[in-house]
Amino acid sequence: MLFPWPDFLRVTLQCSAQALLIVITVNGLVGAILAFVGAVQLNKFGAGIYVADLVGIAVVREMAAVMTAIVMAGRTGASFAAELATMQSNEEVDALKVMGMQIGSWLVLPRLLALTLVQPLLYVFGCAAGLAGGLAVATGMMNLSRTAYLDRSALVLIPSHFVLGSIKSVCFGLLIGLTGCWQGLQAARTAAGVGEATTRAVVTSIVWVIVLDAVFALCANALGV
Amino acid sequence: METPSPLPLPSACHDLANLDPAIADHAPGGATALAPAVLEVRNLALRFGSHLVQEQVSFQVAARSIFAVIGMSGCGKSTLLRSLIGLLCPSAGQVLFAGVDYWAGTPAQRNQLRKGCGMLFQSAALWSSMTIAENINLPLRQLTALNPQQRQARIAEVLHWVGMDSCADVAPADLSGGMKKRAALARALAAAPPLLLLDEPSAGLDPINARRLDALILDIRDRTGAAVILVSHELPSLLAIANDGIFFDAESKRPIAHGSPRDMLAQSDNPTVHAFMRREILAASADHPAQVAATP
Repeated sequence: MLFPWPDFLRVTLQCSAQALLIVITVNGLVGAILAFVGAVQLNKFGAGIYVADLVGIAVVREMAAVMTAIVMAGRTGASFAAELATMQSNEEVDALKVMGMQIGSWLVLPRLLALTLVQPLLYVFGCAAGLAGGLAVATGMMNLSRTAYLDRSALVLIPSHFVLGSIKSVCFGLLIGLTGCWQGLQAARTAAGVGEATTRAVVTSIVWVIVLDAVFALCANALGV
Repeated sequence: METPSPLPLPSACHDLANLDPAIADHAPGGATALAPAVLEVRNLALRFGSHLVQEQVSFQVAARSIFAVIGMSGCGKSTLLRSLIGLLCPSAGQVLFAGVDYWAGTPAQRNQLRKGCGMLFQSAALWSSMTIAENINLPLRQLTALNPQQRQARIAEVLHWVGMDSCADVAPADLSGGMKKRAALARALAAAPPLLLLDEPSAGLDPINARRLDALILDIRDRTGAAVILVSHELPSLLAIANDGIFFDAESKRPIAHGSPRDMLAQSDNPTVHAFMRREILAASADHPAQVAATP
């Protein structure tokens, strides 16, 4: 079976290195916002140090995976849908079919593989950025010492949080990749069809990411994770 | 540049500019009346849901023939082509490649049969993320057992053949419309298929480039022995190179004429065919259902 290595490498680069800055920025700001909101409330009870618990657990278990997925849905999922829809309208997909190429292995698989492999790595960077954002607010606004914040974070962040977040990010990567490719290949063969496919890919991905995250939360709660 | 020919395609240099300009005189020589049918269509019906596109479509395409699919816009010519290459399942009828029913086969059998077809799409459909050489290399990798050196030789050969030697490493986006068509033709014939399907190859081209493409199609037929199915509106092209054909009627949704375009022009008494082949306006009315008026 032929595999489009150049296409795979191009897509991998597109959804990894080229997406890193925006993933770090968004997750860093989310960590900072969580810390700010938590600080205001927790300080009322003299429990400011627990902002490290709030930011650490929220970022690692939920927000890094979800926010990274939303960024990737808007960026890479949309790109997959637009590219495949354009190929569809230009008859490039038909040209592949006529040659007996399997569209699944030639067009969908490299994109799915790239996004599924890259998503957990982006999640790790998202976690680091979110925790750093929380740390910046905690030390800058609440006069907590960096050591106290980091010690508290190390205490509450157990491996199962990271495992859960990583599993989610893999599932989100698969979901976004599949949705983008599916919508692109189902697009009408018109310029408007490309736009509609892109919009549907982004909206569907984001909605299902949130639904899937809710399912994960229920399952994790039921399993005591 | 002379390159060895690893497949039964000619390797000789070919200068389109030196072709006999009297293309029309060259056309009828290709097909032979006794040649076996490369493709046979029996009672084909094409539908989009409940919308009938064409029905009762039957014809044969002989080896070495250039078969024209003619008709007014929207009559289902490109749809027929899509059903012939397996992109659209007909609602009834048979498509037989060398006697084997395409749509009755398993997906693997259909895949195998489809490998005998080279297709030039209306939009050229070159893969935009690849260079021209990569576009030609992909079908060679997929459809032939050539090694990398042989594939490179074949790429150089077919590019030389269509007069695009210097364009191997160029992206499709950097080519003109005519060059895209020629590059797509090179891709379609790279694996030496016995049947070439060309969807409006000269649409959008200036008369000189359209004529060059006609010459190239004739040359391909003569050198490879492939049968060619040509969907086109371009009357000069059709009259110059096609030696058999079918005329689709958009109203009755059935074929209304068979034979070479020249015969259709000279002999058809059907008003629609008559008007189409003479570029006349067909003015139908209740009193004069088939009145034709010459265009000014």
